[in-house]
Amino acid sequence: MTQTISRRHFMQAAAFAGTAGLSGVFPGMSFAQDGRKLTVRFNRDFDSLDPGFYVGGHPNNDVNWCCMPSLVHYGFRDGQATWIPSPFVESVVARDSTHIDFRLKQGLMWSNGFGELTTDDVAFSYERMTTSEWKSDYVAFDRVDIMDRYSGTIVLNQPFAPFMNTTLASGTGIILSRKATESVGGKFTTEAPATCGPYVYAWTQGQHVKLTRNPEWTGDAPYFDSIDALIVTEDDSAALAFEAGELDCTQISSEALARYKEKPPADSALTVAGALQYMWLGMNTEHPKLKDLRVRRAIQSAVDQASIIQGAYAGTAEASYGVVSPGLVGKRDSAGYSHDPGMARSLIEEAGASGLELTLRTLNNQERILAATIIQANLAEIGINVTVMPLDAGPFWEMGQESKGDTWKDLEIWIMRFGSGPDPYEPFQWFIRDQVGIWNWERWSSDEFEELFKMGIEEVDSNERAKIYTRMQEIMEETGAYVWLTHEPEVFIHRSDISAKFAPSGEMQLPYFSRT
Amino acid sequence: MTMDAVGTFRQRPEKLALLLKNKQGMIGFVLVVAFFLSALLAPFLATHDPAQLDIPARLTGPGADHWLGADQLGRDTYSRVLYGGRVALKVAAIGVTLSLVIGLTLGMVAGYGPRWLDNALLLLFDTIRSFPTIVLALAAVSLLGPSLNLILSIVIITSIPSYARLARTSTLALKNTEFIMAERSLGAGTFRILFRHVMPNVIGPLLILAAMDVPVVVTIEAGLSFLGLGVLPPTASWGTILNEGYLVIRTSPWPVVAGGIPLVLTTLGFTLLGEALRDIFDPKLRGIR
Repeated sequence: MTQTISRRHFMQAAAFAGTAGLSGVFPGMSFAQDGRKLTVRFNRDFDSLDPGFYVGGHPNNDVNWCCMPSLVHYGFRDGQATWIPSPFVESVVARDSTHIDFRLKQGLMWSNGFGELTTDDVAFSYERMTTSEWKSDYVAFDRVDIMDRYSGTIVLNQPFAPFMNTTLASGTGIILSRKATESVGGKFTTEAPATCGPYVYAWTQGQHVKLTRNPEWTGDAPYFDSIDALIVTEDDSAALAFEAGELDCTQISSEALARYKEKPPADSALTVAGALQYMWLGMNTEHPKLKDLRVRRAIQSAVDQASIIQGAYAGTAEASYGVVSPGLVGKRDSAGYSHDPGMARSLIEEAGASGLELTLRTLNNQERILAATIIQANLAEIGINVTVMPLDAGPFWEMGQESKGDTWKDLEIWIMRFGSGPDPYEPFQWFIRDQVGIWNWERWSSDEFEELFKMGIEEVDSNERAKIYTRMQEIMEETGAYVWLTHEPEVFIHRSDISAKFAPSGEMQLPYFSRT
Repeated sequence: MTMDAVGTFRQRPEKLALLLKNKQGMIGFVLVVAFFLSALLAPFLATHDPAQLDIPARLTGPGADHWLGADQLGRDTYSRVLYGGRVALKVAAIGVTLSLVIGLTLGMVAGYGPRWLDNALLLLFDTIRSFPTIVLALAAVSLLGPSLNLILSIVIITSIPSYARLARTSTLALKNTEFIMAERSLGAGTFRILFRHVMPNVIGPLLILAAMDVPVVVTIEAGLSFLGLGVLPPTASWGTILNEGYLVIRTSPWPVVAGGIPLVLTTLGFTLLGEALRDIFDPKLRGIR
């Protein structure tokens, strides 16, 4: 007997299948969470796992913390973000202000036959960092004294208060295999020559990173058998994917946060990972159009921060008054200037800069473009004509770096956002004299700032550190090169039965995720 | 062919009557006229400055002050849609006109000129056609940064081969006709032959193609602006209105609706009008695109 399928039968079957899927007849079709599988979102493709020569932050750190060892991780004590011993160590103890003793767990094996994780790998990794692009994290590092195959002592050349929190616990504290790294010439990007962690990864460029249990891992087992990190660049697409059940956890935009605060999706929870992002409008103090301090001061007074927070961030971001983020020592409660278009106009007239034409460069994403549009309107009010130039991440992150071309010479004003670790030292390292042409795109320097920077590193008293970092922000502000904008919270939405752990800098600590 | 052209000229009132009787053509004609009028009269029809910020009014729905609501920065969506039409009109008018003129000229030269020149121009046309417009635009924007002039240039460059190939084919068919040979034997120069005798006979199909090309050009501009690669802030374009609206669609659907409807109606209008003109003036050209 033969059976034919008519168009009507086909349509009926398709309609049934669609209805069944939507109504939950086949629950596996409706939600990403099945078994011990987790589906999360990366908001961009990862580009390197090499802690010495990578961009840092999400998603590179997210992958690194799954597949690579480090001595400490981020955790919380008494509600405050701080470091905790990682699953790779028996113990980590700060013996005094310049000595940190550690003992690695035995039997943790590197992949690809590169042997066991040893103290020599720790020494190699940290010594390597002192000549890397992230050497400023290791400014106080002197050496690792090797006691035996598993024990050692990190020796600092001076007290360095943020060493545990902003160096060892962050992405730059990742440990590499000496043999494996040397076998590939000392550097790598997305293909780590050897991994050692609870997960191994497989990357499909532009699509996803798949993390599966490492069969060689002998440490504490993570909860999830596999984690699929889908690369979804658009925040709103990710929010839709979460609502459709395609994602278990995703970072969300300020617009979505405002919406979810009013009406959260079913079975969901919001978690604020931290607000350690600081965004500002930067100005190139060496550019002929901006050399006059009065012009820069005018721009400071012209920009309406409140409108940016409301218009571009739906009121969900916190006002910024410096580079020190909320909750950290040295956070300021106000800036030394205020929104005063009248004063800004006077300064512009005084400087003879009316009709000035400037180019404002920004990352090509919705919130930055909206912020740029508001700044453009603000500056138009004082007689400065601004052309907004949206850029993709590649050219944007290279535009102020002398090693990446000549764009830095034409750089005028830009919207920039950095993230930091949970210590106020970290943001200041990007603005010292050595960083001019690297990350100090404003291209200024100050002897007092340099001196205070050194003092801040050695000072352990919180009150004294607060004074130092407050003064440093005042110096930055007095250059006129900064208009403080926002501290954006890193907010994630996830299934309510998922216990999600995040670094205070906003990365997902995936090995610590579990389902309750 | 000359007789045909003259005949076509004499029959214009009849053709117009045919257009008026054609329902789809009439709908297209009305939509196209509405598009032109709204774009040209935008400064008079707009109720607000399209770039004027009004943050407290952000994402408000339609009302007496903002007829189509306001966007994230409180800008009046109705006014932005009207001004967005001016961008679409500018790109369509300049893009299509220049493509037509350059394509027509190059096509006639290829068809009438020596074989080696024909081959060289054909190679050039085919090379340009091998680049998908959007991909070429993305590459150019990555290198040079987004701007309306860049979009225009891309549109013109990628559209020229279509016009040129059509003009070349028609010119080749005319090249050895008796009236052209007669002109040549009477000592007429190449310029005179091409622009006095060949052009009037090949331009008809190109005009129809141009009408059909307008919606393509409008959607290319809107598409690139949607991707953030087109017009720069604060210029309003239907693509940027859609992009900004899409990200807040569940908070306020009005920007997407307001940006989408004119785009749909305009492309529909030009398509219907172009198809009607094609059917009326040259039924043989059905299916050329």
